[in-house]
Amino acid sequence: MSKLLEIRDLRARIVGGRDILKGIDLDVAPGEVHAIMGPNGAGKSTLSSVLAGKPGYEVTGGSVLYQGRDLLALPADERAREGIFLAFQYPVEIPGVNNMYFLRAALNAGRRQRGAPELDASQFLKAVRDKLKLLDIGDDLLRRAVNVGFSGGEKKRNEIFQMAMLEPRLAILDETDSGLDIDALRVVSDGVNRLRDANRAIILITHYQRLLDYIVPDHVHVLSEGRIVASGDKTFATELERTGYAHLGTAA
Amino acid sequence: MIAADLPAPGQPPWLTGHRAAGMARFAALGYPTRKMEAWRFTDLRPLTASIFPPAPADPVAVTAATLAPHRLAGPAHRVVLVNGRFAPALSDIGALPSGVWLGAATDALRTRPDMMASAFMADEAALASLNTALFADGFVLALEPGVILETPVEVIHHADMGVPAAAHLRNCLIIGAGARATVVEMSTGVGASWLNTVTAIAVAAGGALRHVQIQRDADEAIHTAVIRATVARDGRYDGFSLMAGGRLSRRDIHVTLAEAGAGVALHGAYLLRDGQEATLAPVVVHAAPGCRTDEVVKGVMRDRAHGVFLGTIQVRPGADGTDARQLNRNLLLSPTAWVDTKPELEILADDVKCSHGATVGSLDEAALFYLQARGIDPATARLMLVEAFAADVIDGAGLDGPIRDHVHGHLRAWLDGMGGEI
Repeated sequence: MSKLLEIRDLRARIVGGRDILKGIDLDVAPGEVHAIMGPNGAGKSTLSSVLAGKPGYEVTGGSVLYQGRDLLALPADERAREGIFLAFQYPVEIPGVNNMYFLRAALNAGRRQRGAPELDASQFLKAVRDKLKLLDIGDDLLRRAVNVGFSGGEKKRNEIFQMAMLEPRLAILDETDSGLDIDALRVVSDGVNRLRDANRAIILITHYQRLLDYIVPDHVHVLSEGRIVASGDKTFATELERTGYAHLGTAA
Repeated sequence: MIAADLPAPGQPPWLTGHRAAGMARFAALGYPTRKMEAWRFTDLRPLTASIFPPAPADPVAVTAATLAPHRLAGPAHRVVLVNGRFAPALSDIGALPSGVWLGAATDALRTRPDMMASAFMADEAALASLNTALFADGFVLALEPGVILETPVEVIHHADMGVPAAAHLRNCLIIGAGARATVVEMSTGVGASWLNTVTAIAVAAGGALRHVQIQRDADEAIHTAVIRATVARDGRYDGFSLMAGGRLSRRDIHVTLAEAGAGVALHGAYLLRDGQEATLAPVVVHAAPGCRTDEVVKGVMRDRAHGVFLGTIQVRPGADGTDARQLNRNLLLSPTAWVDTKPELEILADDVKCSHGATVGSLDEAALFYLQARGIDPATARLMLVEAFAADVIDGAGLDGPIRDHVHGHLRAWLDGMGGEI
């Protein structure tokens, strides 16, 4: 299977700062779930930000190919329309923008890009109902403004719902488990598991091994001081839980 | 410079005295200047640098089709004024319930001058004094006690003067005890003009007036408006202003809560582009105990536009139990856009609950990125955030469905006028 994402020697920093990513190499194929773990400050969120195209970061070296194209040349909105989805660690509250209105605009923007017909209000509503059913979540969040007044768990659930609606090729979940109690973690993880698909790749960025009890990855990587210092299969996470990151040091 | 020929025919004798006094007062005061505190942020040069003789009374070729896009959807008692004069052929007042008087100010002065007698004051400010001297027409709505006018009154002001000229309008809204009405005004037009209106409003005990004013004047137009309302015991005045047109516009809204339990809501927005200049200056006087003010005004400025908010709430001695809040929020969309905001509370009573605040900011970068990270292009993302910012004040104004949709439609039309880039 050809690669969906090929990251080569990626170096990046916050504009004006020192390099945080110091040469990342990572290949992701369709259908795979990769977990990227590591201590605070390792560069996990910088990696997700750079892949999503967040302003304020600059790439100082290396390359990222997505479906064979230079991802870094695309603006953030085009990356999203091409199938990259970032589930935010801290979803943003947008007062006055209704969740459904927002999501329909996002969904139709992607469909226009693919040359698919836009969904009208009733088709959209049907899609919403289908996804709510798939994820087994209620419709209580839909009538509200985007993330406004949502609890931490509701915000994460909303991210997963958006992911289900937008059907990305590559989903990057940035610390989706942070701040969730065990029940919320289960709801969110079940949602992600239902969205696993042979055509969809998922990158889980997490500080804790706990998430990987619920979403079992194909590959586990340890990010430390801006580099991937170790990789393994799903059993590697359990091993890390026992031994910690410290012994991996700042390899290479 | 003002031409001195005063309109005279068909007016009651007492008005002749008011007109002469008004002209004398304006001659003494002159145009407001920036040395006056209430005018120091407003650049009046577009008005003072030109000559605006009173608009001629000649009929103008305005068709119903010209006005159609501005009309309310659904039934309305419609009054159309062209260049400040009642246009019977374009109006459609329809059947009115008994106890309701609606029509032109000139008709009111001829047949029911008593209705307008209280609409004049000796100590008017300069532009209102000039209005007293020169007004040619206007509209009057009067409800007798207990009358509920369910169908909204729609008033369309259209300016099309050919050459720069002024229309001075004197309007009167009289809501009897326990009576209730909704008035939706809209101003529009083409070319340079100056609309100078004074609207006197009296809401008697337990009465309620909802008054929506939408200003979509031509780019070259000047629009100054004084709205003066008195609200009696347990009465309500709910005003909404949308300022989204004209080169220079200013609205001075003065509400006196005269008796216990009276309430006022003043909501609105100014949406400004290019070199537009707009001032919204609401003054609410709490003259009695247990009255309530609820005021939220938002501003959106782009290009080189300049917005001004001058909000004052005065709580007089003895007005205990006052509950007043005032908020002005502004969004600046370009580095050359500007706003002056001055929310003020003057509290001379002890037992009051008052709050006020003002904010000035730009679009939230985190929200913009969030929208883009879902595939929404940057221009659309900006439009969504600006619309949300302004829509919030429309949704919070408690407008009925069709009128709320109407105001939203004007917001959307303004946004569409930006050609997709904001």
